[in-house]
Amino acid sequence: MPDNEFYTPDDIDLLRMENELLTFEVRFLKARLGQPAKITGSSTSLNRLAYLEDAERDLVLLLRRLSGSPVGPVLRRSQRFRTLEQKYIHSPRLQGSSSPERLAYLEEAERDLILLLRRMSSKPFGGVLRRRKAFRTLEQRYL
Amino acid sequence: MIRTPEDTTASLRTLVYAGRFTDKVSSAELPEGCKVLTDWDVLPYQLAALERATTLVVLDLFSFPFESMTRGQWDVPLVVTLPAGFDAPFLSAVFEEAVLGRLGFFDRVATADRDLWEELRLRYRWAGSQRIELHCSPPDEAAAKICGRLEEEAATPISSGEDYETIRYWRGRGDALASSAPQGAIHVAHHDPAFDKAVFRVQSEALGPQFVAARGARAEDVPFEVLEVGVGVGRWASKLDPANTRLTGLDVSESMIQAARADFPEGRFDLLEEDLLFPYAEESFDLAFTVSVLHHNPASAKRTLISEMWRVTRPGGRLMFLEDFVSEKRTPGSPVYPMSIGRFVDLVFEATAGRVVLEHVEALRYPHDPFFRGGLLSLSKVGTPQVW
Repeated sequence: MPDNEFYTPDDIDLLRMENELLTFEVRFLKARLGQPAKITGSSTSLNRLAYLEDAERDLVLLLRRLSGSPVGPVLRRSQRFRTLEQKYIHSPRLQGSSSPERLAYLEEAERDLILLLRRMSSKPFGGVLRRRKAFRTLEQRYL
Repeated sequence: MIRTPEDTTASLRTLVYAGRFTDKVSSAELPEGCKVLTDWDVLPYQLAALERATTLVVLDLFSFPFESMTRGQWDVPLVVTLPAGFDAPFLSAVFEEAVLGRLGFFDRVATADRDLWEELRLRYRWAGSQRIELHCSPPDEAAAKICGRLEEEAATPISSGEDYETIRYWRGRGDALASSAPQGAIHVAHHDPAFDKAVFRVQSEALGPQFVAARGARAEDVPFEVLEVGVGVGRWASKLDPANTRLTGLDVSESMIQAARADFPEGRFDLLEEDLLFPYAEESFDLAFTVSVLHHNPASAKRTLISEMWRVTRPGGRLMFLEDFVSEKRTPGSPVYPMSIGRFVDLVFEATAGRVVLEHVEALRYPHDPFFRGGLLSLSKVGTPQVW
């Protein structure tokens, strides 16, 4: 491109593909630097994917632990908790490592986990739960 | 002036630097499109004109100002005429840093001395086909011979039918060019040599560190097994040290394979059959890579090739893909099957069942191209070795 001419895009598909390429590179570099990037779209770095799968696994384990605990029946009175149980414990897990649906499902699981942990960390139960190392680890990792 | 891949024969122009031999070489005796340069034409402020050349022939090695050339000027393919009467150690001592050590696959060396050529070829890992054999030493005859040869290569007819079928196309291209003009055989028809050399330079700068990373901390005496898929005439062999690397190349074109065997006798080159299944056992290689091959194949062939590359790579080994991920919409007869990087990564996951870890991503922008078009992906294969 000559120095004295401004760049004038003329093919939207080329621009879209170039944007996707550069975005992918940036995502990868952020993941490598240990800064999980907020992502959208069908492609993602493997580091980010592994992180999301960990979040989903932790959410399922946490929900199972809560459901089986003495406070389970109390929690189940909440519509939101019943929805989480239904979605992550009673429904079959969405498989297929790289499909866009799977990615969207994992991102939603990450969001649900963060919301649940925020709720659990707040008063009055946060102080009690924080005595447990496993809970502190979850807080450390996701909040 | 922008030189794009499509913009080729219109700017076909060979510049011949005659230096001290200017009075013996005249443009009138050279084929049309060749122009003789004198000492005055290569003063630093005039060197920018070199960038419009498709090839620069240097007849007088001693007086050409290589040290003043910019990166863009180095992208013009060079033909260097070795001065007669000097041995290899002398030429290396004088010219290695200035030019000989910088010559790559798209550059040529013209000499009448076979022994000198062989000695320098081994030292700098040049391909056999990079030599232009001279039978005469007078500069005017050498210039005529070199320019005639370049003209012949540029004029080699290349079939470009309406319909593009990958294997047929590359076999045809190999048959037409592999022995006569191998530097032109590896890219699609409309590329010019200067563009090809610039692309090769950018790709080399990206791949070189990844080759080193793939080798890791392996001891020098432990051979590193490398597979190149779509090896063509073996241009990447010169980037791998045969002392500690064993290169195996696969290609669908028998003619290209024969040219690669002749150029790089230390490598192993095999024919890839139409089913695209590799004739190697599982976990045979430490690195499997491919450069500008997959985007010339439809999705089903891409999937097969990726799957096969994964199969023959050892766990912990690397897979590398350097492809174009930005392309115009496919039209009938186009040799490119566009695929965005997102879809390509999904395909890699699918073909390998997700058993890879992304190690490196790099977007590449080639000279004279407004877009970042190329992308290098390096992945590690995960799993437990099945072969001990």
